[in-house]
Amino acid sequence: MSDLERTMAASASGMAAQAARIRLTTENIANADTPGYRRKTVSFEAVLDDTRDTRAVATGPVRLDRSELVRIYDPGNPLAGADGSYLGSNVDLVVEIADAREANRSYEANLKMFDQARQMASSLLGLLRR
Amino acid sequence: MDIKATLASQLYSQVQAVARPAPQDTPVRSPGEAFATAATDFMATLRQSEETVKAGLAGRADPQAVVEALAATELAVQTAVAVRDKVVEAYQEILRMPV
Repeated sequence: MSDLERTMAASASGMAAQAARIRLTTENIANADTPGYRRKTVSFEAVLDDTRDTRAVATGPVRLDRSELVRIYDPGNPLAGADGSYLGSNVDLVVEIADAREANRSYEANLKMFDQARQMASSLLGLLRR
Repeated sequence: MDIKATLASQLYSQVQAVARPAPQDTPVRSPGEAFATAATDFMATLRQSEETVKAGLAGRADPQAVVEALAATELAVQTAVAVRDKVVEAYQEILRMPV
């Protein structure tokens, strides 16, 4: 397998990882108002494939954010306790939006590298065709 | 600026060392064998990416894998076409040879 093909495989794995990340971010934003929801985070791990000698990336296990849930004062809510408040989610929209933007940029970078490798291979073959 | 003859010859020998082809570790194969291997690899690439695309259409593979498989197929087909064109060209060249 040539280096250019390996480049494409690695950048495709990067795109898959960023796609998984933005899915989790979207789930967090969708559940921002769900009482008791803990935001999900995911880690990235390098995958070593000795047969193809590539260093692809993959998403690790999904973890729940252990930070404090926000206590929301709303006596009219059916979930509210004796003190008139209930536990909301610990999703911070600003953090999620920033995370989504970062995933977007990383995805674009991987896409760029994929296209770059494809163009390089294509132009090399163009040389053979002349 | 004066360039000494010894310096020039030294540089020349260095360039020779760089330009010398690296020794091949792989055993020498016949051209037919090499072509057969290349054709088998080509078929394997096509078959694999076909499977990936089918899985992608069925929703079992992610779009990134489909795009990667299609790009690999594209490159493989381009290579095969370029090599075939070269072979046909060489054959026609032989046919045009005045006897």
